[in-house]
Amino acid sequence: MTQKLDTASRIEMPQGKLIALLSLLLTGLIVTSLFIGSNPIPVLKAISDSLQNNQSVIAIILTEVRLPRALIAALAGATLGMCGAIMQGLLRNPLASPGLVGSSSGAALGAVFVLYFGFSSLFWPALPLGGMLGSLLALLLVYLLAGRDASIVTLILAGVAINSLALAMISLLLNLAPSPYAVREIVLWMLGSVANHSLDHLWIMLPGTLLGWLLVLGSTRSLDALTLGEETAYSMGINVERLRWRLFLAVALAVGSAVSITGAIGFVGLVVPHLLRPLVGYMPGRLISVSALGGAVMLLTADIAVRLFPAGTEIKVGVLTSLVGAPFFLYLILKTRRTQL
Amino acid sequence: MSGLRSAWRQAILGLLTFCVVTGAHAAPPQRVASANLCTDQLLLMLAAPEQIASISHLALDREGSYMAEQAKGYPINYGTTEELIALEPDLILVSQFNRQKNTEILRHLGYRVEAFATTESIAGIRSNIRQMAKLLEREPEGEALIADMDRRIAEITNDIQGEPLPALFYQPRGYTSGLKTLHDEALKLTGWRNISAEYGVIGYGAIDLETVLQAKPVQLFTSAYAPGTTSLAQQQINHPALKKVTKGKTLINIEYRYWICGGPMIVEAIEKLAKVRRQ
Repeated sequence: MTQKLDTASRIEMPQGKLIALLSLLLTGLIVTSLFIGSNPIPVLKAISDSLQNNQSVIAIILTEVRLPRALIAALAGATLGMCGAIMQGLLRNPLASPGLVGSSSGAALGAVFVLYFGFSSLFWPALPLGGMLGSLLALLLVYLLAGRDASIVTLILAGVAINSLALAMISLLLNLAPSPYAVREIVLWMLGSVANHSLDHLWIMLPGTLLGWLLVLGSTRSLDALTLGEETAYSMGINVERLRWRLFLAVALAVGSAVSITGAIGFVGLVVPHLLRPLVGYMPGRLISVSALGGAVMLLTADIAVRLFPAGTEIKVGVLTSLVGAPFFLYLILKTRRTQL
Repeated sequence: MSGLRSAWRQAILGLLTFCVVTGAHAAPPQRVASANLCTDQLLLMLAAPEQIASISHLALDREGSYMAEQAKGYPINYGTTEELIALEPDLILVSQFNRQKNTEILRHLGYRVEAFATTESIAGIRSNIRQMAKLLEREPEGEALIADMDRRIAEITNDIQGEPLPALFYQPRGYTSGLKTLHDEALKLTGWRNISAEYGVIGYGAIDLETVLQAKPVQLFTSAYAPGTTSLAQQQINHPALKKVTKGKTLINIEYRYWICGGPMIVEAIEKLAKVRRQ
């Protein structure tokens, strides 16, 4: 144990430096992302055109196609990374993440219901609201199923059950949907994609996401205290029950909004907090903002890779995050088995 | 002895077959069953009502069928072998791409099955009309239909002037009609350049959003199925960038029923495209 703490402190970085580094990386990736498209365009000329409000085609491609894609990927990635960190801290379970405890697939279910049955074309906020509600319901169901002090395995099993249920419902709804194009879109919802979006989509996902993030701020200290156990946290004057609800709500707001636009992108929320945890000295409170940046970096990198991948049609970004994430998940299971059983 | 008997049997069988076949061909078909939307429509246009034994259920669909009104009242089928046999038809009409297995079985059972090619051009429409008219032994009606179509197309397109303008058909999920499609021919006849064909799409294929934008279309058309419903695929064709690049012009829907099957209804699609071009 002491040895582990020693290694941890050795790679731990000052929070400010870590955040600056990740922000720099993220900015670099967003800029890189603007240079990638089906045809090369003079990006610098496009930037100056759009700054001068000149509606040239390259400016339109930059601001209406490439920029929303980069920003949506960053926003969704940040949300997933942050919510993964919150859930792992809150449930004190290394395998918790929006994808595994059902909040992503619940959000996808809510969004599918609202989108394909025409509610979102009547009232645009219906889409993120549907996602939030689905996300919250799924999360609560898993929590109730698994019980408050669930073991790692129980929680994951409850998550598996709710994920399967959500998947079945999504597939049923898409089959019943009036649009003849609906059935083929199940892949988009289950794997997730940030392609073909517009600025409108960014505006749709932004309010809920930001609200969720805001709710998280201010609970970092409480999360740190929670690592010492609920009893200790209580004795330190933290209302654990209220903290739990506040964070559940935050996750539902943020994940619900993001997934209602991108679909359920897997494993970002699981992988990112684990990779960054040693760097913040295993402090869940410090991990949150760092994981948000890390999540954005991971999803943007995956989306850039997907676009550079030489396939006839573009593969979905969720395929790539799952290809990376699933083996990592297996590694985590092996690791927990070794330490806990 | 047995060889002689089998030779006799062959001869009798051959004679019988000959009689049946020539008998069937002696008079125009009296009970025609169509198992495909495209043959349904040509049948409804050319046959005498009493010749029609059945048409497919799709003929009644207002969105896909130009002849939905005229199709009312005829017995419908869903294209299954059992249904078609039960109709006791003397001629069954299918598309070349229709359920190959069904066609084989029906032919094997001795039914006369005629397959129609899908149409990729107005020349293809003419040849399908001629094929149908010949099968129904109503050639004069067929030639009249073709002459009327050709005359109307010429009327609509002869006053189109000026440089062809870039346009394309943009369908849900980013599909488009390139070379060798009715869309391509109709666009070119009405004073448009087909961006998709120039980009190298042959038949129906995908086209990337950025490629569409860079070609600077003056106008976008669609012939999407089921307008009024929503899906991600349908949202894609309403991307705000498209409206910006066409300087605010919205996507124009030229209904699906003019294109899904090749027929004289192409005239109405051409008329609509020409009307937009003149503006």
